[in-house]
Amino acid sequence: MSLRGYARALLTESRPDFSWTRTVNARREMLSGLTGAALVIPQAITFAYLVGLPPEYGLYCAVFVGFFASLLGNTPMVGGPNTAMSILLALTIMPFAGRGSPLYIDYVLLLSVVVGLIQLLIWLLRGAELFRYFSPAAISGIKMGVGLLLITSAVEGTLGLAPLTTQFFYEKFYIVIASWSDIVNPYAATVSGITIVSGLLMRKRFPRTYIITAVLIGGITGALLVGVLGLVRTDIELLGRIPFELLPLRVPTVSAEYLLVMQEVFPSAVAIAVLGLAQSLVIAQDLKGHVKTQVSLGREVFAQGVANLAGPFVSSFAGSGSFNRTSVAVSMGAMTPLSGLIAAIAVAAIAWSLGPLLTYLPMPAVAGVLALVGIGMIQVGEARRFLRSSIDGPVFVITILTVAFLGLKAGLAIAVLLSLGFFIAGVSKVALVMVDQDGVERIQVTGNLFYASLDALAHHLGEHPGANTLLDLTRVPYCDSSALAMIEAIKRERLEHGGRLEVVTAD
Amino acid sequence: MMGMRKILLSLFVIGTLVGYSLSAIARPTIEELQARDFLDDYESNIVYGYNIVMETERYAARYVGNKLRCTNCHLNGGTTPDAFPLNVAGLYPQWRSKNGVRNGIVLRIRECFLYSHNGVLPPDHAPEVLAVAAYINYLSEGEVIGERPPGGGVPTIPDTGFDPNPARGEVVYKRACVVCHGADGAGTSVAPPLWGPDSYNAGAGMNRIDKSAGFIWANMPLGQGHSLSHQEALDVAAFVKLQLRPFDPREGRLAKLAERIWHRITSLFGKEQP
Repeated sequence: MSLRGYARALLTESRPDFSWTRTVNARREMLSGLTGAALVIPQAITFAYLVGLPPEYGLYCAVFVGFFASLLGNTPMVGGPNTAMSILLALTIMPFAGRGSPLYIDYVLLLSVVVGLIQLLIWLLRGAELFRYFSPAAISGIKMGVGLLLITSAVEGTLGLAPLTTQFFYEKFYIVIASWSDIVNPYAATVSGITIVSGLLMRKRFPRTYIITAVLIGGITGALLVGVLGLVRTDIELLGRIPFELLPLRVPTVSAEYLLVMQEVFPSAVAIAVLGLAQSLVIAQDLKGHVKTQVSLGREVFAQGVANLAGPFVSSFAGSGSFNRTSVAVSMGAMTPLSGLIAAIAVAAIAWSLGPLLTYLPMPAVAGVLALVGIGMIQVGEARRFLRSSIDGPVFVITILTVAFLGLKAGLAIAVLLSLGFFIAGVSKVALVMVDQDGVERIQVTGNLFYASLDALAHHLGEHPGANTLLDLTRVPYCDSSALAMIEAIKRERLEHGGRLEVVTAD
Repeated sequence: MMGMRKILLSLFVIGTLVGYSLSAIARPTIEELQARDFLDDYESNIVYGYNIVMETERYAARYVGNKLRCTNCHLNGGTTPDAFPLNVAGLYPQWRSKNGVRNGIVLRIRECFLYSHNGVLPPDHAPEVLAVAAYINYLSEGEVIGERPPGGGVPTIPDTGFDPNPARGEVVYKRACVVCHGADGAGTSVAPPLWGPDSYNAGAGMNRIDKSAGFIWANMPLGQGHSLSHQEALDVAAFVKLQLRPFDPREGRLAKLAERIWHRITSLFGKEQP
């Protein structure tokens, strides 16, 4: 790409594109945006809990990251707090400060700034192209691995336990099963059980609203239990008052010590940035068929980067596009970023006006939502489709196992490596079709000829040095110097032994 | 020359040791901590805990249900003797008759949010609770473990020979308290509410006459402690206790509400007898 083309691409992508305003169906977008707002509130509270921040930070993230991402992007992708990123943010900062302490909040917000900067750097380096090589099986593996992580991280909340620190996810289940009678709070378990069961029962019939209904049912159950038996006896954790501000301005603290910590967590910051972009771009790719406007991956990378960079200045942690909320928005007819903008504004309005009502929302119901979201991410149909393929199957399974046992960061690295590996394997595959035409052997080559894919052809041509061969290279898009050298060498060898090698090329 | 160097070296070593031990003993003040540009996890929690104690409704908004601050009873951020000072980390865990279990400092703090702040019970691991615990730990540095620091809690009012009399208490209230706390007990800009929806609930320690009378006698009116007589303190404490305030959260609020409505329906009080 020329320098001028590069500059022009940056300019067009960084300028908000409002061409969608001409074709927008405002009523449909409004409806889809409002549904999205109702959908994101329990998730935002849950994800803030996952990050280890007070619930209002999740709401801020839903409002501001969602707003910026929709303003600068031009797809109906819904931005905001994201499961995998939330888990990674928490895991990254946990060693440096106590969960939820002021220092912890400072670190998380500063880390989000770094994530935004890395994403903008990826945008400047035109990195969006790279994400196209991410294998869908690997992404799906990460998604389902995250679903598994969500279910395990919901264990404590659903049963009313203090957070358990274990190395592997199954240890948690072991602890709970081994000493359930001592540690499980039956009232909390009742509330979360009712939330999860009602959610699962309604999932098939009301795929868009089942989470909201489930949290309502669980919330009312919890409120009744607390109301009749008292807070002390049930010991159900309540959400508490959310001090929601409409403009929570905040300047992330930067000092030498903070920067040292950021330096230490830089690899994780890269992982979080890549994870966020990977998810957002997969969604954007998916949306290409649905929307009328032109989807530009570079623009989405820019939107995500700016949203995450600006977010911490209004108390938001890093987020990305959301699979589940985008699919609901699209299924309700959203075609433009307007639905995302409306959702962000509606979240702010709802949180600001109905905040006091949320005070008595029992946390076991919120943890039940966490489990429901996790269960929703494990899609059996998709898994079966990947498992049928001999390449996608192993990629998928290995990614899930890595995420489950070695954590998200390792899972991401494995996913990148496997995608790359299978991409290279696919590229270097060369098909040889041999036909015997009146004593002349004709070899039709299909695929790229380069240093890694030469072996089969070289072996075949070298077997009968005296033969007469016509090498048809019309279906070879790329042929590197080592391939040319090989062909030249074989030509010479044939001449010595009285054979012939003729090459037919496309031009 | 050799001797000079030896003296200098030993002076240096002694100086280092003295400086080190001094720095270990000297506790930085909250202002010093706030002025530093970097605090580690413990120190930042101390400052956070101090902020919660001083401005509870702002820094621990999530769990607070009324307009009281910790420092309204734990005067001056829990540093005043005879006003529930907070240098008590060494006394916990202890058994308390209030809940009949062994109480760690965390459970003790959580119950303050539930009763005195009439809020929701925070979980064990709530950052707000841990921050207040860090602040209490900081205030308790240098205290003896298991020994009650002098001036702990509030003084016990000696037996005056008379029962607390709320009617006389009302007179005392109107004379000495009403200026700051208001006629309706809802507080003013200089003093916290004493009853009504924005005050502590019926389960709080302050709702016990012995505790509140001791506190009032030692500290009230603010800045003129010990100016009321023992009997006046008991009377005014009884008067305040009789006012309407949020329920004790140990009973379910819905159950209590239903009970009150049922009593209202079935009560013969104020009705004409047949």
